Amino acid sequence: MLNRLLRASPYIVVQLAAMYLYQVAGRIDFPAAPGRIGPDFWPKSILVLLGLVCVYEIIKNLLIGETFTAAGLLEKFMKDSGEAGGEEKLRSYPLLLGGGIVLTIIYVVTISTLGFFLATIAYLALFMVLGRYRNWTVIAVSSVLGALALVFIFMKVVYVSLPLGSEPFSAVSLWLLRVMGVH
Amino acid sequence: MEALVHLGNGFLQVLQPMNLLVLFIGLVLGMLVAVLPGLTLVMGVVLALPFTYSMELLPAIILLTAMYVSGTYGGAFTAILFRIPGEPIDVPLLWDGYTMARKGQPAKALGWTLFSALGGGLVMVMVMVLASAPVAKFALTFSSPEYFAIIVFGLASVVSLGGGSITNAAISLMLGLLIATVGVDSIYGAERFAFGVPFLQDGIEYLLVMVGAYGLGEVFTRMEKGFAGDGASADTDRRINTEFPTLAEMIKLKMTFLRSSLVGIVVGIIPGAGATVASFVAYGAEGQYGKRGKELGSGIAEGIIAPQTAATSSVGGAMIPLLTMGIPGSGATAIILGAFLLHGMQPGPQVFVTSGPFVYAVFASMFLGVIGMCILGFFAIKPLVKVLELPEAVVSAFVVMFCFIGAFAARNNLSDLYVITAFGILGYLFEKFKFPIAPMVLGVILGPLAESSFMTMMVSHGNDWTVLMGRPISATVMVLAVVALVYPIQRQLREKTRRN
Repeated sequence: MLNRLLRASPYIVVQLAAMYLYQVAGRIDFPAAPGRIGPDFWPKSILVLLGLVCVYEIIKNLLIGETFTAAGLLEKFMKDSGEAGGEEKLRSYPLLLGGGIVLTIIYVVTISTLGFFLATIAYLALFMVLGRYRNWTVIAVSSVLGALALVFIFMKVVYVSLPLGSEPFSAVSLWLLRVMGVH
Repeated sequence: MEALVHLGNGFLQVLQPMNLLVLFIGLVLGMLVAVLPGLTLVMGVVLALPFTYSMELLPAIILLTAMYVSGTYGGAFTAILFRIPGEPIDVPLLWDGYTMARKGQPAKALGWTLFSALGGGLVMVMVMVLASAPVAKFALTFSSPEYFAIIVFGLASVVSLGGGSITNAAISLMLGLLIATVGVDSIYGAERFAFGVPFLQDGIEYLLVMVGAYGLGEVFTRMEKGFAGDGASADTDRRINTEFPTLAEMIKLKMTFLRSSLVGIVVGIIPGAGATVASFVAYGAEGQYGKRGKELGSGIAEGIIAPQTAATSSVGGAMIPLLTMGIPGSGATAIILGAFLLHGMQPGPQVFVTSGPFVYAVFASMFLGVIGMCILGFFAIKPLVKVLELPEAVVSAFVVMFCFIGAFAARNNLSDLYVITAFGILGYLFEKFKFPIAPMVLGVILGPLAESSFMTMMVSHGNDWTVLMGRPISATVMVLAVVALVYPIQRQLREKTRRN
């Protein structure tokens, strides 16, 4: 039963979300025109279809315990070719994944304070270390030169205004831009 | 005649030094992303997008289409030489290409690949030049029911042709369609699913969904599997040559080549199918209709020609609906559409009327791209396969950076970084629970178009949706959409019953 529940769990989550969003769609505020469908019609239709597919999957997985599922053409090709399952047998590193996600969120949160250059050096270096790479020279050189190259390409050549950060970190970004001749 | 004049002018434009340089860079980048197992063709095109922001429209499109074309070819080297398919497109090349290489003929196998990519590419350009203008002219007669039916067909084929189970693909598609409704609706000005959050009121840009789900999501997925420490373990130092097939050998296999080109073009036109499906379908068709179909898998040339020719020619097929109807049928064409829109040009039936010379310049660039790709493939295999030695953690760190810059640069908005991180996590969860990403992305892209054509149809025809079945083109396309959805389910159920 636990297996069945696990198999059905993604569909239960989506079904609950669809039900909630249907409620929200019912509260969309618009000037109704007689004889015309409103802006709630389209999302509500999608949510109804989504709900129906989820109900089918929940009944199939949870109540009947059926595991057969019709595959898309590409999925069928890959299954038949025997090349699809190769990676599935590899080991799993959930802590590595968790660390990567947390590191990425920290980067997004701190980039406005540290500025693109400093935040990127730190992110690149930490990401490589977290990714079990241990050549410290390559890590140091590629993080610093990589961040410099990105700043140069995007601020000097492509004209993207990357975040400079706030004081005192912005001083580093501004100094770098002066050196690169970016105005 | 007019087309030839435009094409000639197109060549002159592409032969400008700057455009040639961009073409060369695009070809090299396309091959590199195809060689690296951690990077897919679509991801590569996504990552190149921010570089196009400051370019003129023509070089921007040249860069992206060059990557798209050469991305269907580069992965063949590692598939044939090291049994490492850089892309799912290259999986069929393992069966005959790698087998031929193991039989002591790697140079010959690479030669057949080059010939197939060249042939498929040239046929693709020819079909694009000949078919695009008539298709656009035909599309001018379309009204909202026809547009809506075509989009429904596109969405149905994404669900039935893609990876994952059909129900998971349907859920992924509907989530994409829902994401597209976030923000202020264009007809009533009503706010939908914004929950009072300012940046949600502007809607969610489909580029953010693509960059997050394809780029970051893939990095997270590979991170969970533990990156390969020092790159792939392949003997990239050995001698690598390409040996061309003789003219007599080529003529002998002309039917394989023609059949596979046709399969590639047709499959490319169908939204959601793309180069991978084309490659597999062409291989299957060769098995069924080829003279030596039963010998496929034993290292014969037909097993290389069929998938490679179809993969390359499918690019032309995918470009036709994009240019003539503004409907992208694949991840890569969706990004190219994004580049068009960012530069203020809307592809569609009017494109030959308003921007004919530009379109022919794109065709010319694709022609030169195919030639350049083969020259590169001949001379630069060794340095290209060397990138296999790059440590995956280092490559992935830079992939994340390009994702962030691409997302940020589109609107110079830091909130977009949160959005792509969220879609990166969602992309990872999709992979984890075997929900395909492509239907969600195409749902986000085609959702607004589907809704607006549906609403226009309903307003114009007094809320009577049966108008879809009352017009010959829309009725035919709707029937095809139903067949596309129902047929694979029915066939697999029949297979299951037979097995039991």
